[in-house]
Amino acid sequence: MFQTVAILALLVTFIGIALHWVLTPTGGPRCPLSGAVHVFSLLLIEQKSSLLGALKKLCYLVAMVCFLVLAFTGFWPTLVHGEHISGFLMYIHATFAPVFALCLAILAITWAGSNRFSFADAPWLTRLLRRVTRLRVPVDDRPWRCSLAVYKLAFWAILFLALPLVLSIVVSMFHLLGTDWQYFTLAVHRWISLVFAIAVIVHTYLAVRLRMACQE
Amino acid sequence: MKRRLIAALVVSLVLSASLLAAEKAAKLLGDESDGSRAHPIHRIPLFSESEKGEKGPQIDPDDPLAMPFSTRFTCGECHTYGAISKGWHFNSLDGNVPAGRPGEPWLYFNSKLGIQLPLSYRAWPGVHRPEQFGLSLAEFTKIFARHMPGGGPGEATPSDARARAEQYVSGKLEANCLACHNAHPGQDQGGADGYAIQVSKTNFRWAAAASCEFADVSGSVTDAGPTYDPFMPDETEEKAPRVSYDKKAFDAKGNVFMEIVRESPKQRCYFCHSDLFCGENDEKTEKWCADEDIHMTAGLTCVDCHRNGLDHNIVRGYEGETADSANPMAATTSCRGCHLGDENGNRETGGRLGAPVPLHKGIPTVHFERLTCTACHSGPWPTDKPVLAKTSRAHRLGTINVPKEPRVLPHVWAPVFVKEAVADPNGTAKIGPHKLVWPAFWGTVDANDCVAPVDLATVTKVVGTVLKDVPVVATGDWSELKEEQIGQVLKALGESGQQKPVYITGGMLFELNAAGAVTSRADHPAAAPYAWALAHNVRPAAQSLGVGKCTVCHSTNSAFFFGQVAVDSPVASVSSLTKTQYEFQKASHARTWFFAFSFLFRPWFKVVAIGATAVIGIVLLLYGLKALGAVARVLSEQE
Repeated sequence: MFQTVAILALLVTFIGIALHWVLTPTGGPRCPLSGAVHVFSLLLIEQKSSLLGALKKLCYLVAMVCFLVLAFTGFWPTLVHGEHISGFLMYIHATFAPVFALCLAILAITWAGSNRFSFADAPWLTRLLRRVTRLRVPVDDRPWRCSLAVYKLAFWAILFLALPLVLSIVVSMFHLLGTDWQYFTLAVHRWISLVFAIAVIVHTYLAVRLRMACQE
Repeated sequence: MKRRLIAALVVSLVLSASLLAAEKAAKLLGDESDGSRAHPIHRIPLFSESEKGEKGPQIDPDDPLAMPFSTRFTCGECHTYGAISKGWHFNSLDGNVPAGRPGEPWLYFNSKLGIQLPLSYRAWPGVHRPEQFGLSLAEFTKIFARHMPGGGPGEATPSDARARAEQYVSGKLEANCLACHNAHPGQDQGGADGYAIQVSKTNFRWAAAASCEFADVSGSVTDAGPTYDPFMPDETEEKAPRVSYDKKAFDAKGNVFMEIVRESPKQRCYFCHSDLFCGENDEKTEKWCADEDIHMTAGLTCVDCHRNGLDHNIVRGYEGETADSANPMAATTSCRGCHLGDENGNRETGGRLGAPVPLHKGIPTVHFERLTCTACHSGPWPTDKPVLAKTSRAHRLGTINVPKEPRVLPHVWAPVFVKEAVADPNGTAKIGPHKLVWPAFWGTVDANDCVAPVDLATVTKVVGTVLKDVPVVATGDWSELKEEQIGQVLKALGESGQQKPVYITGGMLFELNAAGAVTSRADHPAAAPYAWALAHNVRPAAQSLGVGKCTVCHSTNSAFFFGQVAVDSPVASVSSLTKTQYEFQKASHARTWFFAFSFLFRPWFKVVAIGATAVIGIVLLLYGLKALGAVARVLSEQE
């Protein structure tokens, strides 16, 4: 079941992103190759970055590499072969996981402030609240930037999901849980990793989109 | 003539079919229990076998020339012998019976001739059929049936007329019901005049009677004169087998009270199913210093798990046995069946017989997919070097004059953690503890590079002549062979008419090249070690592998993965070799070592992961509180 659901969910995510990319074009090179190089370059550390900025970007890049490795080693045997992760793939997975958790913790501290929600992130919500509750909710009349709101939402989702994702595996390494709970934590890890991966993909895509929009 | 033949054939077919059907339909008195949990009293008459192989007269203890009683006709009065004798302990000759998981073979060995050969009538990969080694049914029975409950090869009718004539004298080795079901302490399987001795004397007809507490057998078929006829006994034949019954055992009606129990006592099973492990420095797991299987300590007996009905299709108790066995208890009386529920996940069967349902706290679930239950719970605790094991059947434990030196042949090594072959193609091969032997034999190789053993008579004659000056080692260990001696034997075998003779030992194949020099090939399939699963003794849960810490197995020097298994051979250059445990698990050195090594850093992984989640959790809490503050501010403006 997980294999089918995961393949479908990832396909829907990628198709959604592709449709969004096509239907809401942004500036940038039109050639696919140079476009890809351009998009990739957006993720690199800018020379004008401060030391802290460079460190944040570096941390982000390391986290991205770790994510790719973890996603490949975790999903490949499950989705392609229908098997559990084992052998060298598991060793690689287990080696990159703590590095990823560490980077995520650093990103949580350094990015949380800039990802706080404001009233401008959902003006329709504030208008609705004002109308329904008659509260003096401040209203921002600027047009709604859906991408930014989803981008922030994806960030907080990543942080929120990271907790059960990491703890479900760590807790199984202690002499606490019996076999049934071990199976449960493994299932939790598997299903949350799917949602987590989708959140990361959406977040990365929107990060690129927002950077490209800023460059315009 | 042709018509008559066809008619006779049809009549005989119909007759035999109706007889079979009648036997199936007509249940005898003892075939089905009436539901009483009490043991039925067996105060019964004894019957012998007649000359025609039919039911003979009742045994009269006063008759000085009385025949031995026949279990077929004595026990068969109330229990369908034909059904019982098709059970697992008796059906090795039946090619239609699935061989199931490879089990313990019969090991023929000869230290001076350099032979240690696993034999079996069952189609287990790696064993040779006795007839391939030139052993007739009678010869095989004479050598190995000391630790068999009769039946099988001992009861089969040979196709050869001379062998049939010999069987007329020796009798058939009928299924010895008493071997398992006689609870009397006088049941003698291995004593001076007991069952094993009678079998070795070819007294097959007398063996069951000799084993019981109220009969005594003297003489032997082999010592009897050439004119000896068991059905026309001559009082002057002093050396011929003769049975005398204890008259006090018979009541006024000529019946005998026999202490027969439905559930075999464990001591009966132990006669054929005992192990002794000889560690380094001659340390043995002798009875007084070793614990019994935890199930025995808990009050169970062997047959509480290894169950059977009238058909004696006993549960062997391995996972996946349902694919091979029609026994309805096969799924529920394995380790998993009693402790966790059956193979279909029916949890309600778990906990039977008071079996504790294990929680396996902290054991990653992958262990249950890759390891048998016995991997962690059974056998001697693994050491850096697996030890020599002795088994009842291989070393004739429990019989008289058993050599007690630890290095006496055959050399069985345990525990070796081997990845089992799987019967179920969708199943996962699991790693479990095994006993292991390295085959050593003289053979011939065919055009397909398949090796078959040279028959024992030729080996004894040709190899025995070449190696006549090789000294026999007093401890029963191998007599050392040098490569030049192997060359001489191979040459002699070639001259005796054996095509492409080879010698298999220690995982290697020795042969002569075109120039007549001895060459060797490593890892030839015919030289692969033969391993069979080890399930007992089961240790208590607190003495399981991995209890408390993972590094019992997951460390770079663990016995489980990196223990050194000796390569056993009479050839000195081969016997100094070793193989590492992971090689039997079909694992690579790099992968095994790297994984074990990673456990050095695992605590730090845990610290980092917990620290990172703590930080993320605090950030989420902090910003969650801030969001709550914002909501509170909005709500307070309303007030």
